[in-house]
Amino acid sequence: GWLPALQLVRRGSKAVTRHWKAMHFQRQKLMAVTEYLRPRPAVPPRCLAPRKEIVEEDNGYVRLLRRQVEEVFRDNRMIAVCQYNSMPGEDVVLMRHYLRKHNIEVKFVLNEIVRPVLSQSKYKNLLPLFVARNILLVSPEAKVKEMLRVLKGVPQINLLGACIDDTILSRQGVENFAKLPSLETTQGQTVGALALLPSQTSSLLQRGSAHLTALLDQHIRRLRAGETGSPAEPTPPQSSGDH
Amino acid sequence: QKMASKIRVVLRPVKSIVVRFCPFESNVESTRKFLGYINHKKIQATNRNCEVTADVRHDGSEPLVDVMFADGERLVMKGANLTTIEMLTALGSRCSAKDLKEEQKSKKRNP
Repeated sequence: GWLPALQLVRRGSKAVTRHWKAMHFQRQKLMAVTEYLRPRPAVPPRCLAPRKEIVEEDNGYVRLLRRQVEEVFRDNRMIAVCQYNSMPGEDVVLMRHYLRKHNIEVKFVLNEIVRPVLSQSKYKNLLPLFVARNILLVSPEAKVKEMLRVLKGVPQINLLGACIDDTILSRQGVENFAKLPSLETTQGQTVGALALLPSQTSSLLQRGSAHLTALLDQHIRRLRAGETGSPAEPTPPQSSGDH
Repeated sequence: QKMASKIRVVLRPVKSIVVRFCPFESNVESTRKFLGYINHKKIQATNRNCEVTADVRHDGSEPLVDVMFADGERLVMKGANLTTIEMLTALGSRCSAKDLKEEQKSKKRNP
């Protein structure tokens, strides 16, 4: 074949290079002119009136979840709200296991479901708690001490507040509640305190006659001692006026 | 938006983080989300020695994030008017700055 003697080459590099090669000026101009321009609406969408977004239909699933939450609030005496920061799976299972032993159930809840339920029920003050990821610890009994112990061993779960026997408690309240003695001891203490005053009154009232009885007993003892030993000494009863 | 999971925070220069908030207040959302993001596996994996404590109070005080660095510096972020992403980027930028400084120091010692 016949190769052209003169090849139009500048600076000795070929058409296909391993480095970025500057385009020919005409090609540069063509590329600049034919760049892609995104089609934009004439009026920015912000300036137009906002479209009324269709409120989503009540999903059957959502309704079921709401019903479950309502049931939970009705059936259980103690409901604790905790913040859930992501925990490894085995830790979750272990924690569930320990809490199950004390009959405490762990429920993962979605805020969008819980918020409407709460706003309609009487638990309005629990509303601000339900932000970011939360879990609920529910139980028919109020075993606060064991729950606190388990939660202490899990650093990624933070107790925010609880609703025990329809009383909303903060974290401090829960800790104080745990320190309270059991119901029987408190009942015993109340009964003791109530019975204190009447017992004082009765002892006051009986003081006079009790004193008289004691003195008469002493007198009899001395008489008997006097009979066995020397002749009886007449000891006048000193408190005959003490009625 | 899951933007916050794209912000990588290297917790190596951090000694401890204390997040204080009062959950019954209404301005704690960003602080609580911040706490949730710090406790993520990936960020915890960058430094296992960093202790993250959550202080839950009920005294109406504002949400606070207190970061203690290993070189004694302290960063206090009042989360009442900050978003989560702002707090994360602030912490992340300081952490990476300190990390670079430490790398430079160690390179100077062992060339």
